[in-house]
Amino acid sequence: MENKKLTQAQMDTKWTELGDFFRRKSIWMLMYCTGCCAIELPQAMTSAYDMERLGMGPMATPRQADVLLITGYLSLKTLRRLVYTYEQMSEPKYVVAFGPCVINGGIYHDSHAVLNRLDHYLPIDVYISGCMPNPESVMNGFTDLMDLIKNKTAVGWKNYRDNNEWYKKNQMDALGEVFVHDEFHE
Amino acid sequence: MMNSMNNQALVSELENRFSLLNVDLVSESQVAIDISNNDVHTVLAYLKSLGWKQLSMLTNVDWIEEGKYQLVYIIFNWDNPIYIQVRTKIERENPVFRTVTSVYPGAKYYERDVHEFFGVKFEGNPDSEKQLFLENWDDLPPLRKDFDAKAYSDRKYAKREYTKDFSNKGGKK
Ligand code: SF4
Repeated sequence: MENKKLTQAQMDTKWTELGDFFRRKSIWMLMYCTGCCAIELPQAMTSAYDMERLGMGPMATPRQADVLLITGYLSLKTLRRLVYTYEQMSEPKYVVAFGPCVINGGIYHDSHAVLNRLDHYLPIDVYISGCMPNPESVMNGFTDLMDLIKNKTAVGWKNYRDNNEWYKKNQMDALGEVFVHDEFHE
Repeated sequence: MMNSMNNQALVSELENRFSLLNVDLVSESQVAIDISNNDVHTVLAYLKSLGWKQLSMLTNVDWIEEGKYQLVYIIFNWDNPIYIQVRTKIERENPVFRTVTSVYPGAKYYERDVHEFFGVKFEGNPDSEKQLFLENWDDLPPLRKDFDAKAYSDRKYAKREYTKDFSNKGGKK
């Protein structure tokens, strides 16, 4: 115990731990209601399950949000907007994906418009199963996310940074280009 | 007078004026008529003057075995709740039709939609070939019956690999 001074790396870890403690008790969600699973959010948020008791609440803009909820099937066109949204969020950021549609395409696995595996394009921290997942599973998914943050295993955002080339390549393969062109943006 | 017309009276009114190829009284509030290509504009304009002011939908049906496309104009009257489907068949190969934007300006977007999903060209609507929903589409129009959505999906989107076989073999082991 002769040298009590902590190294910079140790200090950083301590701060991150402290940050994570508060972070997991105040998770602000950005709800990207892409598919029908979104219908389960109102029950989870309102008095029946009262998500706010876990410290979770809705947030209006990506820059202020901690977690991105992808609630259901993701079409090619939506992925473009989703990549914009995800990249605007400030780190650390987490992604929770709902339903089998984002795992393997679900009932839309043979559609021309719907992506099959979301984890090829964006890093997912928690999957919630069920088509659609009932509010208990939704709440359970959120407590899982809190545990992951506690155990320092919610590292999707780091993976996205470290393997950015791989993610970008997959996005390009599916989309051609990520940039949004439409008459309402031009 | 027009606003109290029931669907039978409406059909006989139309039969007097135009040559209808086929009439379907689907229900009290729905009538479907089939007409030839050349009549579409006059029939739509006439019905509009009777109060069917709203083009609720323009869509297309792919009759692949017949080699035809069927354009379906669904129009609605707010004073007399009868939906009328005005249907006409066009060629499936190099499908072209004249725009109805002169009668229903809102058709502008529906025609873009039909162009995108079926490849029908609408003469006289300069916007009809602009993309609407699909972005950077690179294959056959996707709602044509000969478009294989599964093959497209398999080619284009990464699939999840399973080490275990979860497929249902009709209950057999
Ligand atoms: S998983 Fe089921 S409920 Fe959820 S978006 Fe897909 S089809 Fe809809």
